Amino acid sequence: MKSVVVWVLSIVFFVTQADAQKVFGTRNGKISFSAPDDEDVKAVNNEVTSRISDNGQMTFSLLMKSFLFKMAEMQEHFNDQYAETSKYPRADFKGNIQNLSSVNFAKDGAYKISVKGDLTMHGITKNVTVNGTVNIRGGKPLAAAQFSIVLKDFGINASSVTDKVTVDVSCQYQ
Amino acid sequence: MKKWIKVLLIVLVIGLVGAAGVVYYVYNRPHRDVSTEQGVKLTAQGIYDAFHTNEAEANKLYLDKAIELTGEVADIATNQDGKVVVNFKTNDPMVVINCTFKENPGNLKPGQTITFKGICTGYIPDANVVINEGVLVK
Repeated sequence: MKSVVVWVLSIVFFVTQADAQKVFGTRNGKISFSAPDDEDVKAVNNEVTSRISDNGQMTFSLLMKSFLFKMAEMQEHFNDQYAETSKYPRADFKGNIQNLSSVNFAKDGAYKISVKGDLTMHGITKNVTVNGTVNIRGGKPLAAAQFSIVLKDFGINASSVTDKVTVDVSCQYQ
Repeated sequence: MKKWIKVLLIVLVIGLVGAAGVVYYVYNRPHRDVSTEQGVKLTAQGIYDAFHTNEAEANKLYLDKAIELTGEVADIATNQDGKVVVNFKTNDPMVVINCTFKENPGNLKPGQTITFKGICTGYIPDANVVINEGVLVK
């Protein structure tokens, strides 16, 4: 009987624990990219779905066709020739904050984070580590990071334009 | 002037003008304007059902297409660049149709039924179908 009580209590405890986990989300986060050597090559996506949990898990999902370029011609080449966005419409990242103990989601402030996880794009998945910040204001986090992607790592050949792009993440969560 | 020099000069000038024209076109070609296109008429629930049932098939039907979407407004927000975003309700509380306006549509309210026309960029499971570069139809 005693063991049953312990068992029930531990389940109740576990469930309450799981409930206590706090998840922040957005459907309209912002991720842009640019070519380091050509200022005309720049695109912005304002429809990034992302979640960040105080257990350290971070997910990002975006639609490749949601990247808007200044030049319509460039947008067409990106979609049709380079990223083949009809064949590979979505890119996903799922990872974890490596230094979770240095982030206090309950206290406003800027925290440096290192996030490690799997990035899937153009049908190819790579394990990446990205350094960035979580800035908590009024209890709501803003995640920001800047990192480089080598396009051929993801099977994208855009060498006539650029070999790598700089990715800029700025997601304000609710 | 010798005749062949004249011909050469004319050819050169035509070539240069042509090249300048191509460059001008590449830099200034207008973006797609969905307001002049005939949209595929769907309800918010209808487009969600299509993607939820068979994403690959729905991608073939709707990706990159002008979609004229009618549904009930769940909420209205502005994105991080100040554009107006309307989320349309579906019968799944987790999922909305996320629609971004090209220009401010004016005063809209949650609960209102509206028709929006924009370009469908795809589906993010358990979150939303995304339509952007849109305009208010009614």
